[in-house]
Amino acid sequence: MAVPGRKVAVVGMGGAFPTCTGLEDFTNKLFTGQSMIREWPLAVKYGKQMRSTMCGYITEAEMGLEPVFNPISDEYPETYIDLQNRIPDLNLATADMGSIWAMLGALESIEMAGWKQEETQSEQTAVVVGSGGAGHVILRVAWHGFFKEGRKTRSAGSHTVDRAMVYRDAANVSCLIKNKGVCEAIGSACATGLGNIGYAYRLIKFGLQDRAIAGGVEGTSLETFIGFDGMQVLSKGFTPETSSRPFDVNRNGFVCAFGGGIVALEEYEMAKARGAKIYGVIDEYFNNSDGDGNMFAPSFAGQKRLWKGLRDGATIKPDVVKVHGTGTPVGDIIELLCVIDELGESGYHISAPKSQFGHMLGAAGSVEFIAALQMLEHQKVSPCINSDNLNNEPENFQKTEGWDGPVKPVSEYRHLIPQHTVEKEINQIVCLNYGFGGTNSAIAVSRDV
Amino acid sequence: MTEREEILADLIEVLKTVRTIDPARLENVTEETDFLADMNAPSTELINIAVKVEQKFDVEFEDDDIDNLGSTVKDVIDLIILAKNRK
Repeated sequence: MAVPGRKVAVVGMGGAFPTCTGLEDFTNKLFTGQSMIREWPLAVKYGKQMRSTMCGYITEAEMGLEPVFNPISDEYPETYIDLQNRIPDLNLATADMGSIWAMLGALESIEMAGWKQEETQSEQTAVVVGSGGAGHVILRVAWHGFFKEGRKTRSAGSHTVDRAMVYRDAANVSCLIKNKGVCEAIGSACATGLGNIGYAYRLIKFGLQDRAIAGGVEGTSLETFIGFDGMQVLSKGFTPETSSRPFDVNRNGFVCAFGGGIVALEEYEMAKARGAKIYGVIDEYFNNSDGDGNMFAPSFAGQKRLWKGLRDGATIKPDVVKVHGTGTPVGDIIELLCVIDELGESGYHISAPKSQFGHMLGAAGSVEFIAALQMLEHQKVSPCINSDNLNNEPENFQKTEGWDGPVKPVSEYRHLIPQHTVEKEINQIVCLNYGFGGTNSAIAVSRDV
Repeated sequence: MTEREEILADLIEVLKTVRTIDPARLENVTEETDFLADMNAPSTELINIAVKVEQKFDVEFEDDDIDNLGSTVKDVIDLIILAKNRK
């Protein structure tokens, strides 16, 4: 349980962001309302096999990496070369693309935090990083070689396990930074990014660790994209920059994206004592499940209980609610109405950063948490671009018997959903993320005052 | 150049593609050079080297060959010759 008086500060951050050269570029694009979505040549290459081709992808070259292809397949990156010499070859040999982004984000976070080597390598430092998907890019070719081409198991090399295992990102970060505390990965689909940060927060809050590198990543993977494309849930029929459109009446799905978000967390008094810059103080984290047996559908009741759990642990009066807001037909409005039911019809803004960079799946929660930290830092609310037209009519579910949430149409809440960056005093932000399986997660983070 | 010398030269070419081996350690390789002790290669890398050698020399090793493989360059050259003669 929480140790009374013990608080958790965010002291560093880093990651991988589509079309961005780094955190500064990401922040600039965020507040200037730019889209980070492009048409993905790799998806276009497959022609009619693919339903949607819009994506928030990141190439190897954009991350300063060069794949080394195995002779058995020109699609199999045997390892990567770090053209900027940030990560040793030995560590690159055990990493898939997402793990490399996790390691880069960890190095950036530690540098920003200003941890000394003995702090990073302490028994009191944890690594808690996860991914939404498996190491598909690695596994596909390895399995194809075995099952279809009759090759020996060893033909794909000796690193298919470490490059594809569930906690590969955490393991690779830990082997790179050599921490001696906890090393684990939390998996909760599209809530993974926030779930890992929440778990790391608890490790510190409960007095088990003093520091943590935490977050989520989702390495660029056509295999991952194919799964969602096959579910017919991806946005279709818009230009790249207008394809992710949470809350807009014409939204028809989310834009699959890839990226990584890593943060450095530290017990507040320790961070203060060494004079660290504090980017945010976590007030509370709470997570729960819908409990309705539905793998996919969002639950108003489940989200109401999420808010209650969050409020039970801290004073919650956010100036901004950073929503999950994916751009799917039902999810956005249920979420918005739940926020309104909790917080009322005014006094805060909604931020839906997926409108700019799409849905990063296992990285969504952590990258959006970083977006929230930038909102605190710059005292700006990032815009919900493409939310051009809001429905003037109530949603069908608002008209059903038993619905006990707000009954007004979404267009009545235009003032909550800014289309351009808003400058204002921001003291607290609540971040929300949900995932398949009916999992819900919420974190509240405040400015250090 | 003897057959063993030719194999050694080709083997060094293979080793140059193994990113976890420091290229500086490939300058004075002899048959007595030990992958683990002298080249500081991780033990998991021996499997990758074996796979690359199979591809380069167009041979297939038996599982037992690799299970029992020593860690010197000589051991690998012996195995390549054995596998070639088995074809």
